[in-house]
Amino acid sequence: MASTSNDNVPQHMNAPENASDELEPGACHDSILNPTDSFEEFASEMSSSLRETCLTTKSSTISEIQSEILETAEDPKLKAAKSSDDLQTKDGSMSASASNSNLIEENGDDTDDDKDYLQSPELVNKEKHVFILSTAGKPIYSRYGNEDKLAGLCGVIQALVSVIEEQNQDILRFINTKDCKAVFLVKGPLILVAVSKSNESETQLVLQLTYAFNQIVSLLTLTQLNRIFEQRRNYDLRRLLAGAERLIDHLLVFMEKDPAFLLGAVRCLPLPEKARENITNAITTTCHKIRDLVFAIMIAGNQLITLVRMKKYTLHPSDIHLLFNLIRSSESFKTAESWTPICLPKFDATGFLHGHVSYISEDCQACLLLLTVQRDAFTTLSQAKHTIAEKMRRANCLVAINNALNRNEELSTTKPLKHIGIPEIRHFMYKCKSTAQLFSSDPISLDRLQDYRLRHKEGGDIVDKKITKLSDIDYVRNYRKFCNQIHCVATPAKLIFRSSSQDTILSWVTNGFELYVTFDPLMEKDHAIKAVDRLLRWIKKEEERIFIMNAPTF
Amino acid sequence: MSRCDFKIVLLGSEHVGKTSLVLRFVNCRFNAEIPYQNTVGAAFCAKAMRSKEKDYSIGIWDTAGSERYEAMTRIYYRGAHAAIICYEPSSHESWTRLRHWLHELRTVEDSCKVYLCGTKKDLLDGGFVKREVAEEIVNTYSQDLNGHFLTSSKTGENVDELFQKIVDDLAADVEVMKTVTESRLLLTELDKRKSKKDVCAC
Ligand SMILES: Nc1nc2c(ncn2[C@@H]2O[C@H](COP(=O)(O)OP(=O)(O)OP(=O)(O)O)[C@@H](O)[C@H]2O)c(=O)[nH]1
Ligand SMILES: [Mg+2]
Repeated sequence: MASTSNDNVPQHMNAPENASDELEPGACHDSILNPTDSFEEFASEMSSSLRETCLTTKSSTISEIQSEILETAEDPKLKAAKSSDDLQTKDGSMSASASNSNLIEENGDDTDDDKDYLQSPELVNKEKHVFILSTAGKPIYSRYGNEDKLAGLCGVIQALVSVIEEQNQDILRFINTKDCKAVFLVKGPLILVAVSKSNESETQLVLQLTYAFNQIVSLLTLTQLNRIFEQRRNYDLRRLLAGAERLIDHLLVFMEKDPAFLLGAVRCLPLPEKARENITNAITTTCHKIRDLVFAIMIAGNQLITLVRMKKYTLHPSDIHLLFNLIRSSESFKTAESWTPICLPKFDATGFLHGHVSYISEDCQACLLLLTVQRDAFTTLSQAKHTIAEKMRRANCLVAINNALNRNEELSTTKPLKHIGIPEIRHFMYKCKSTAQLFSSDPISLDRLQDYRLRHKEGGDIVDKKITKLSDIDYVRNYRKFCNQIHCVATPAKLIFRSSSQDTILSWVTNGFELYVTFDPLMEKDHAIKAVDRLLRWIKKEEERIFIMNAPTF
Repeated sequence: MSRCDFKIVLLGSEHVGKTSLVLRFVNCRFNAEIPYQNTVGAAFCAKAMRSKEKDYSIGIWDTAGSERYEAMTRIYYRGAHAAIICYEPSSHESWTRLRHWLHELRTVEDSCKVYLCGTKKDLLDGGFVKREVAEEIVNTYSQDLNGHFLTSSKTGENVDELFQKIVDDLAADVEVMKTVTESRLLLTELDKRKSKKDVCAC
C-alpha cells in the first residue's frame, strides 16, 4: 500500500504543525548557513543553455571584503597589502619551474590494450564509476583503476559530448540502459561523468558530479582552472592536483553515505546549549578585533560545532561539506598548525581565502578553521587560536565536545530513539529548511564510515548479499527514492507513506522541514502519524542542543 | 607560540621527505606504516633549542612541494632566517627543482642562509635506490651555501645535527642576533602594555 498526496495533505497531518504556534524544530530567524536548496540549483543548472556552460563568474566576494576593509583601514601599510591572491606566478603564465620542461605527453593510443583494460577486475562490476576529463579528452580522474589507461575511454566520452554539442547544438545529459545510468556534466573546461547502477536518480548523480567539480575548484579557483585551459587546451591537470584524488575518493564515499548530501544540510555536533555558547564566546571575544577574519568554524567528525562569521556573509552547506571532507581526509592537519589557501566555490569561486587550520589540542579532536582574506595573518591567527583553546579549556568545553564525540550514553542525543520511546521507529532524519541543518537518529558513526571506506577501496563492487541488520547507511540508501519524489520538479509530493513487509517509510515535506522516518513493517497510517507528532515534539524539545539556533558574528 | 627567534623554512619537491624530517626532529618519530599524504599548504611547528648555553625558540615552516602551491610558497619563506632545501639523491627531478628554489631564494631573500639536505639516506645506504645526483655536483653547489647534510628521518641520522648547525650559525651571526634582540625587546614591551591594559579594563 502506498499513497502520495501532492496538494491535499490529510487533515490530521496538519496536527503537529498546528499543535503549537511555534516555529518548526530547529528554525530560527537568523541562519549561519545559506539555505538554498541544492535541488533548486540543480533545476537552474539543467535549464542552462549551451552557451552558459562556459562559466562566467559574478563579482568576487573576496575583493569586496578586501576593499571594505581597506576603506576603513587607518594603517597605510594595510593598504599596501591588498593582494589579489593567486597561485599563478607574477607574469600570469603557467608556472615555469624546471620540472615543467620534462612534460611527457603520454596518450594511450593503444586502443586494443584499452579494451582489455575496460574488462579488467579493477573496473567491471562496480556500482558507480566517476570519470573526470578535460574537454580536450585528457583523463584527470577515475574512481577505479588507473586513469592513464583510460585515455581511450576518455576519447570516446569527449567525442560523444562534442558531437552532440557541435552537430546538434545540444547538451548530452543522460544515457540510460536497462541497469545503468550514465550522467554527463560539462563545466567550464572539464567533463564529468558518472556511470551508476545504484538507485540514485539522475539529479542526485549530477549533484555529486557538481560536488566533485567544486572540490577541484576549491584547490585551484575557477579563475585559474579556466585560465590554465585557455592557455593550453591540452594541459595535464593532474600536475596541479596533488592530493586531489584522495579528496575526491573520500568525497564520493561520503556523499553516498551521509544524508547531509542528500538533504543539502549540515549536521551539528549535539552539545549542551551552555557549552556551545561558551565555545562561541571564546571565539568572538578573541577574534572581534581581527579585521580580516571572515569565518571561524569549529568542526569535529563531520559535524559543525560553531560558526562565527563576518556580518553580511553566510556559508553555503556545500562549502562546509568540502571543508569537512578536507579535514577528514588530511592527516597533515593533525601534527601541526597549517596555513593554506582554500577556495570556497559557493562563497567565491574566483579567489582564495587563507585558512589557519589546527586541532584544538591533543586530547580534543575538534578542528578550528580561521578563514581570512589576508595572506599574512598567520601569526595573529595562531595566537588567537591558542587563546581560544585556553578559554575553551577553562570553560570545560573540551570535556563537553569529547562527551559528544564519544557518544556518551548519558546524553539524550546519543541514542535518540531510546529517549523518544517509540519502539516502532527504526530510524529517522530531519532537516530544518530555514537553517539548512539536519539531525538523524543514528549519526553516521565515523568508524563505520571508515570501515565502509576500507571495504570500498578494495571493492566498490555490487553485492547481492542479503543485508540482515540495516545500518544507518542502508536507511539513507532507502530514503533516496523518496527524497527524489519530494524534490521532483514536475510533480513534487508533500507526503509519501509506503508500507511493506520489510518496513514502513514516511516522508513528509512542509515549508519548514523535511522528515523521513522508517517504521516497523505494516504500520498503520494513523499510528505512524501519531508517532511522527511525538517525534517532532521531541526534536522541538531538544532543538537547542541538536541545532545551532543563532548566527553569531564577530 | 609563533613568537620565534628564528624562522626556518623547508623547501623541495613533493614526496622528498620534508614533513618526515620535521616530524623526526620535533617529535622524534618516524612511521613508515602511515601511507604518504601530501602536505596541504604549509605546516608550522615550534621548538626550543640551545646554542652555546643560550635558549632560542625556532619556528619551522614545512611547505607543500606540489606545484599547485608554487607561487604561494613565497608567503612562507618571506623573512626566513634559514632555508633547508631538500632533494632525494635518487631522484634527478628533485634536484632540478632544488635548483629552482635556490634561484628563487637568491633573488627574493638574499640574506637567508641556505642548507641543502639529501633525504632518505637509509634507502641509499641499504642499496634500495640508486643515486642519480652525483656527489660532485652537490658539492659544487653547496660550496657557496651554508651547509649540506645527508639525512635519514627513518634512523634519525644527521637530523639533529642539521638543525643544530643552523641554530649555531644563526646565533653566531651578529646581524641576525641584532634583529632577534630587537624583536624580543619589542615583544616584552608589547606584553607589558597589554597586561597593563587588561588590568585597567577590569
Ligand atoms: N625510508 C625512508 N623513507 C622516508 C624518509 N623520509 C621520508 N620517507 C618517506 O617518503 C614519503 C614522503 O615523505 P613526506 O615527508 O611526506 O614528503 P614531503 O616532502 O613532506 O611531501 P609533500 O608534503 O608532498 O611536499 C613518505 O612515504 C615517507 O614515509 C627516510 O628518511 N627514509
Ligand atoms: Mg609534506
